[in-house]
Amino acid sequence: MKQARVLFSGPLGAFILVIVLMSLAMIVAGASPVDGFYALIHGTLGGWPEVAETLTQTTFLLLPALGICLAFRAGLFNIGAEGQLLIGGLLAGAIGAHLFAPAIVAIPIVLIASMIGGGIWGGIAGWMKARFGANEIIATLMLNFVAMSLANYLVGGPLKSPLATGAETAPLHPNTWLPILLPGTRLSIALLVALAIAVVLQFVFTRTVFGYEVRAIGEAPEAARRNKVNIKRLTWLSLAVSGAIAGLGGGTIVTGELHRFNTELSPGYGFTAIAVALVADLNPLWVCVSAFGFGILEAGAPALQLKANVPKDAIHVIEGLIILVLAARRYISTRKEAAPI
Amino acid sequence: MIALIVTLVTLTLLKATPIVYAALGGVISERSGVVNIGLEGMMAAGAFSAVVASNAVGSPDGNVVVGPIVGLIVGILVGALFGWILGYAATKFKVDQIVAGMGINLLCAGGAAYGLVLIFNQPGASNQVNSLGNWYWVLMVFAAVCAIGLHWLIYHTPWGLRVQACGENPHAVKSAGLNPLKLRVVAVTISGALAGLGGAFLSIGELNLYSDQMTAGRGFIALAAVIFGRWTPLGATGAAIFFGFFEALQFVLQGHVGWLPSDAMTALPYLAALVALAGITGRVRAPASDGVPY
Amino acid sequence: MDCALQLRGIRKTYPGVVAVDNVDLELYAGEIHALVGENGAGKSTLANIAFGEVKADAGSVKSSGTVGLVHQHFELVGRLHVWQNIMLGREPRKGFQIDVGAARDRVRELARGNGLEIDPDAYVDDLPIGIQQRVELLRELEREPSVLLLDEPTAALAPAEIGAFFATITALAKRGTAIMIVTHKLQEVIAYSNRVSVMRHGKIVAQMDSYSTTVDDIAKAMVGGELPEVAQREATTLSPCLQVRDVRVGSGAGSLDAMTLDVRSGEIVGIAGVEGNGQTALADAIAGMLPYAGSIRREGALGIVPQDRHKEGLVMSWSIVDNVVFGRQHDPGIQKGLLLDRTRARRDAQSIQERFDVRAASLDVAAKTLSGGNQQKVVVGRALIDDPRLVIAYNPTRGIDVGAAALVQSRLMQARNGGAAILLISFELDEILTLADRILVMYRGAIVGSFDRANVDRATIGRLMAGSTR
Repeated sequence: MKQARVLFSGPLGAFILVIVLMSLAMIVAGASPVDGFYALIHGTLGGWPEVAETLTQTTFLLLPALGICLAFRAGLFNIGAEGQLLIGGLLAGAIGAHLFAPAIVAIPIVLIASMIGGGIWGGIAGWMKARFGANEIIATLMLNFVAMSLANYLVGGPLKSPLATGAETAPLHPNTWLPILLPGTRLSIALLVALAIAVVLQFVFTRTVFGYEVRAIGEAPEAARRNKVNIKRLTWLSLAVSGAIAGLGGGTIVTGELHRFNTELSPGYGFTAIAVALVADLNPLWVCVSAFGFGILEAGAPALQLKANVPKDAIHVIEGLIILVLAARRYISTRKEAAPI
Repeated sequence: MIALIVTLVTLTLLKATPIVYAALGGVISERSGVVNIGLEGMMAAGAFSAVVASNAVGSPDGNVVVGPIVGLIVGILVGALFGWILGYAATKFKVDQIVAGMGINLLCAGGAAYGLVLIFNQPGASNQVNSLGNWYWVLMVFAAVCAIGLHWLIYHTPWGLRVQACGENPHAVKSAGLNPLKLRVVAVTISGALAGLGGAFLSIGELNLYSDQMTAGRGFIALAAVIFGRWTPLGATGAAIFFGFFEALQFVLQGHVGWLPSDAMTALPYLAALVALAGITGRVRAPASDGVPY
Repeated sequence: MDCALQLRGIRKTYPGVVAVDNVDLELYAGEIHALVGENGAGKSTLANIAFGEVKADAGSVKSSGTVGLVHQHFELVGRLHVWQNIMLGREPRKGFQIDVGAARDRVRELARGNGLEIDPDAYVDDLPIGIQQRVELLRELEREPSVLLLDEPTAALAPAEIGAFFATITALAKRGTAIMIVTHKLQEVIAYSNRVSVMRHGKIVAQMDSYSTTVDDIAKAMVGGELPEVAQREATTLSPCLQVRDVRVGSGAGSLDAMTLDVRSGEIVGIAGVEGNGQTALADAIAGMLPYAGSIRREGALGIVPQDRHKEGLVMSWSIVDNVVFGRQHDPGIQKGLLLDRTRARRDAQSIQERFDVRAASLDVAAKTLSGGNQQKVVVGRALIDDPRLVIAYNPTRGIDVGAAALVQSRLMQARNGGAAILLISFELDEILTLADRILVMYRGAIVGSFDRANVDRATIGRLMAGSTR
């Protein structure tokens, strides 16, 4: 009984929950769950092109989720990954359009530019928090809107490609395009970059002083302050690094898929990534698994809509419910420690 | 010039109204000790369900009175429902209030988008429905009534005293023989109702439809207004009007100042909230147990 | 005599622990009953069951009327007025509103009736701790309880205030209230209570009449054997280590006002004082956590035992290994470039476990799974591990069992014998008298008296702590 509770309060419980919720969503939409899941599995894992598309969506979610993971571990609720991703993509697009260099130089430059863009955007919120004590939840969210306005203005004016009909930057020089892993698909080496970042992040948490201090301010800020942790420095730094990782996500979308920047870059990856990170209990390696799971949902949404008539937005409902239930789940798995003595 | 000022003032009050409702919701919730990050989602839920209800009650050429009234009531009730969910989760399950609030935001925004497809068969926006039309000003006046009413409730009634105590030290409330959990659930439910009403004003007060992302961060601006207004109903109302002013300014300027790009001006209310947030925090103190599960 | 409170066969278990084990207890109207025991013996749980805050697994609680509870850490709302705190939940009404005038009158009447003077319109935050306790007591008395439980009621009071406090309590008992005091101050048990019950491992192991017993008998019953001894004091050579000159921090309650003191290598200087007289500011200023005016000079490494191990000392969800390098993460030898030397951390954890007899299943278990005594051993072990020249020990044995306390005190004494300078800040005068070579009495942010170990005068120290001038 006790074992069962532990099992169900863990990842398995989250998995079963997703299945149940999705079945409900399908039933509400008037489709049979059997057909729905068949469409989902077939549409996401049915062949190499489908798998590649799923892994592409996984990548798009993985990077912002890793950024969020870092900030949340520091106890900083960065819900501005969407804006950081946008600014990262913007900078990658602005620089990549005018960069003529061999790929081995051009690709790192563009990706680093996207990290700097996202880092600045996250860093602004971090600086506001460290310097003025401004609530980072509101600050990061407000910055999402400011990022959108800024990007709209820039691609509609100064950065607008004279050749484009819509609001977008000039196309990137092909030397800045990320190499494709699976020919004929859009799965690029961004996946490997993201996985590498996950491993590095795990190493940072477990082995480095920075990671140790990040965990300290997240778990016990007052104890951290009294034990030689420079909280202000760590606050802006973790939000900046968090933003940089999310920004890299934007950069890989621009260099790996769109090959130009426009503001339709992300359909909300920065918000879905919150669920991705929380499902994985903020553990970078589990975030990879959870991103794959959500990648299936994202990649399968069109198939689901087409074959089972389940609207795409049902997935956001499911994400919201997962976050709500996860928050409660943590209570179930920790309550046995609640003896008041 | 005078015409411009009159336009600006009217528009300010119009734009401030939904933020005032949500900010009042934020005040009552946080005074009881629950941070309501879910205001944004509760506004969306209120806005969408009000449209659905108005649509269900009467077609545009049918009864034009009952629809909006039912819409408002349903908007309030649905907002309250999500408030209750957050309150219940935050007390009974002691969940992380921030995480749960974000869950509610995603749930409501996604739910409304999902609902648009299910009910109106189109993504993006709903059908046009019966709205308050020229009677929208009633809700603007009612917002002022709510602000004063909440002030009276918090500072002059036994329930308000208990809510204040609950946000400062729920253990003291318990020691006094009261149930802090119940107080919090009720406060957050009221918070949701107010946010729902704010949302309903957006959809069937100011306009006559629901469109995707309609709330546009107003729930978070309301949270900034709560801090800017020092967790008091009247202060938060003032702050909400301040932010409403910048939203109004954007419209007025668009017509008159050519050199300012319109995209830059859409950022005005958010920038105002950012600056206010940086300027005021550090000099104000939140309720001592704000955000701390009991 | 009337039985005001009757507990029968009370049992309460938490996972892995039997907190209260088949306890019977009767409280009579008009008596003052002391409940004593080591930390973790189950007395708080029993008190909470009697009050109704915790539900027992088995057994029955019968009381003749309402039960009131005065907490050790007062459950008050600092930003509300005194009258709002006292009348909370029982507000007199005028229509839908609170009748403020009636509420104030009721508080004044209550205060007069119990001989406890109070200003109904003061803010609780502005009141000294002793007066805050009055507010908490009045709140309970407002409900006219037939049973009043007091949890460590004198912990924050100056010796001189304690007499007055018990005068109030005794008068209350005379009027028929049954009073139970949970305490660890055995002198007060003998002086003011009628009966005493001793708890150990969840059971009541002894019950005696207070007038016919001694402090020693009670202590032995609490521990279940002889009391452990503290390490011997050895001769040391003194040399300057810490000089605090004319230091000022903040203003009002808890500030420092022209604080001057010296601590030399090879001595323990004890700061005696009632909580809230600037001890925290003193410790924080020396540790460099607070800006101050004046000068503080110290030599060598500093080890700190913080006053609150939960909030300030440990990360409760972390392992022992992670916790023993907390605060030392930038020390050379622990930080290697960007990396944290985890082998070194584990070695340190092992050495602390051996030296301090930390009882844990492994070094990788979370700190929150350890008992309070073992947690404190980790905190003290960490403060002493690098043989610091100066140690600030702030309530180093608060809330831990006698065995662990004796071990912690012994290690501090050994550090002193080895040449460390130790500043001991403690709210327990007994602890200071046990350990200190010199005793400084602190009152309102300044030193108001100084005693050598040889000529300690307990009564004078008590008066100075309360602010009277000799």
